[in-house]
Amino acid sequence: MSVETVEIHAREHDSFLEEVHSFEFWFQSVEGYLAGHPYGVDPSTPIPDLDEEEKATLIATLSTYCVGELAALDGAGGMIGFAPNRQAKIFLATQAVDEARHLEVMLHRLKELGVTDSQREFESRANRNLLAFRKRLLEFVDAKDWEASLLAQNVILESMEFAAFHSHMKTADPRTAQMLSGVLKDERRHMGFGENDLGRHLAQAPHARARLREIKKELDALVLATFEDSQRELGTPASERPEIGRLYLETVARLGFDS
Amino acid sequence: MSDFLNAYSIQTWLESCPQGYLEDTEYGHAPGQKEPELILENPTLRQESIQSTVQLVVGERAALAASSGLINSAPDYPSKRFLATQTLDEARHVEIFTQRLYDLGVKKDELEDVISQYANPHLVKFAEVLLEKVDKGDFLAGVVGQNIVLEGMAFSVFEMMQASNVELNPKFAKTLSGTIADERRHVGFGENRIGSLLQEHPEKKPEIEQMQKDMTYHMLATFADSFRGNAPAMEETRKIAQEAIPDQKHQVWHGTDLGSADPAELENVLADTVLKEFKTRLGRIGLEYQEPAKP
Repeated sequence: MSVETVEIHAREHDSFLEEVHSFEFWFQSVEGYLAGHPYGVDPSTPIPDLDEEEKATLIATLSTYCVGELAALDGAGGMIGFAPNRQAKIFLATQAVDEARHLEVMLHRLKELGVTDSQREFESRANRNLLAFRKRLLEFVDAKDWEASLLAQNVILESMEFAAFHSHMKTADPRTAQMLSGVLKDERRHMGFGENDLGRHLAQAPHARARLREIKKELDALVLATFEDSQRELGTPASERPEIGRLYLETVARLGFDS
Repeated sequence: MSDFLNAYSIQTWLESCPQGYLEDTEYGHAPGQKEPELILENPTLRQESIQSTVQLVVGERAALAASSGLINSAPDYPSKRFLATQTLDEARHVEIFTQRLYDLGVKKDELEDVISQYANPHLVKFAEVLLEKVDKGDFLAGVVGQNIVLEGMAFSVFEMMQASNVELNPKFAKTLSGTIADERRHVGFGENRIGSLLQEHPEKKPEIEQMQKDMTYHMLATFADSFRGNAPAMEETRKIAQEAIPDQKHQVWHGTDLGSADPAELENVLADTVLKEFKTRLGRIGLEYQEPAKP
């Protein structure tokens, strides 16, 4: 075997990516907040006493989240097959487990709320705009379109979840808030991957930006319509509804993908 | 169906795998464990180690592509959830065996060339047969190919390699013990989930049995190349190891002394063990083992 001759800066960056996109790095990251927290919650946290209306609202909200997490699981799993390198494949494998865990902890919380068939429950409540988003994401994945899939999955969908969970945490009961806190930590990692990979890709292929802008415009409409539908269903006053949409757009813009 | 799938939850996986048998390991072995000097300093042993590890990387890359590709086509959430854990297990296996290649001195920028150079063509073909089904979104065939055939093969190969390395290379033996624990879980899922689905779709049996026959042929051809086709190098490797560690305790695996059996005997015991497992497991899910031509 010959002596390694890779340019020093490139090698350092590659080594960095190899480390942060590894199983080892993932496990060290999640272990801190998942150890001793079965289903994302410290077992000593009391089960809150919610009235029927609060319970119904939380069930509706968690059911919508489950649809988003299922889309994210299918998306992350499907992208592994055409990810451009081993590090990206390994990162997406960690993301697939994260997304499956999110769905699991949410279904578990639904069970705590008395939902007996939580899977059927969330599927029957699926928002049509969120379903349209899922369909579009999986079309990009089926077409093995890496940049569009990454934008839809790791920028748009993750930012949508980030905005929704972040807003919800402010008013959530302690068990739900703890569960969402762990989920948010994962989402930050996923958004970081999307920002980093897509950012590097666009630096090398700036012409792709115009196409991604069009895709973002199309998906933004579905995200904002999902928020609007969900908030109307939950009885949020019309004056307060734009807040979560604004948070979503700000999050996407912070990742470098503004309109 | 859902009762048994509850045993494959993320929570159970987290507690048993990363927080269980992988706790306090790095790349699957104890921190600080290294490849033995004997292997690193002897060109024949090092080359042999690189060559065999490349086959593991090729197999695990196929398993990663297959398990992740099946998530979308899984008919229910519990199966998707299990496949997500399997996907990460396979990604970890790719990572630890790739790391072993680095530990053996393969440079990062040479990795793909080294893999292309040593990958057994029959193993590549074995993966292609499976991934063709996965790409078509054929969940039933994909799970049989992945969780019964590929995992069944990997399980026995890892067991045999682990037994061979217990004394010579404790670091690699430890790495393999974690992968064996993973594979055991994967094989169990395949058996449990597919049995009921096959009862609902008996018309799929001939096509799946043909896939099993094709994959089995390429598996046996890979074994033939690795043992009979590699006999002089294997004998040389064994001679060097025995001279260096004369009092090495011979391991017996399925009745065969791994330290003294000739390459053809080793090939036979591995093939017989894997095929016996295939027959048992395929029988349990209602499929009949199809014998391929002898390579």
